[in-house]
Amino acid sequence: RYVRQLQRLQLLFSPTAADSRGARQFVEEVALDFARQHPDVVLYVSPRTGLAPVLLAEYLNGTVREELIASKTSEEIKQLATKLAGQSGLDIIRIRKPFHTDNPSIQGQWHPLTNKPSALTVQGPRLQPQ
Amino acid sequence: MVFLSAPKWLRSRLTDRFWRVQEVLKYARHFRGRKNRCYKLAVRSVRRAFVKSTKARREKKRFLRALWITRIEAASLEHGLKYPSFISNLLKSQVELNRKVIADLAIYEPKTFKSLAALAQRRRQEGFLAALGDGKEPEGIFSRIVHHY
Repeated sequence: RYVRQLQRLQLLFSPTAADSRGARQFVEEVALDFARQHPDVVLYVSPRTGLAPVLLAEYLNGTVREELIASKTSEEIKQLATKLAGQSGLDIIRIRKPFHTDNPSIQGQWHPLTNKPSALTVQGPRLQPQ
Repeated sequence: MVFLSAPKWLRSRLTDRFWRVQEVLKYARHFRGRKNRCYKLAVRSVRRAFVKSTKARREKKRFLRALWITRIEAASLEHGLKYPSFISNLLKSQVELNRKVIADLAIYEPKTFKSLAALAQRRRQEGFLAALGDGKEPEGIFSRIVHHY
């Protein structure tokens, strides 16, 4: 069953600044629909004066992602929020290998003595196997 | 941000310079010498580093294939076979494993690799019998080809 990795979305914006216009429109129009479409994400809306408007996303593994929403339209903020809701909290870096095992070797990893005859099986002219 | 009259030109100042410089320097942090601190030197080094990394992606494939071949050669020599005969006899027995997988088997599954080497050896012997024996002996078992269509 699918468990959404996004825990909470905090929308921090100022009620009067000019660059928070898109955020205010988002809260007025789209936020309720977004919250209804994503019932397992908690949406917090809080005012914050003096700093740039920000969308804070916290994930189940503890990572916190900040996205600036200054001078964005409410449509763009909605797309950004859906993108964050679909992500998991893993950091966005290059994955070196698409696979990983904890037990790479089942028959025992090769070491220089794997294919050498042991003292128990040596067939020399005088030595017999014991 | 285009100011049309000259007296107003002096009022626009670049305030972003620190971040524009940091965007380049963050890729140069692990370099040696002044290239990791000084922007002028870092710009050249970072550009060359990116160009080299783009071109090296083609070389990486060749390098890794050569590495796998070396490892398979070492492993098959432990079992008494040389690399060309090992690979050609595996292909003749319709075992289509690529070199990456055979190299990983040789490291992590030595018994499987030993059985692959034994298979290649047996097919080699059957090939010799078919070429030198001239039709009187029965066909080799491992020389039979399975058609999958």
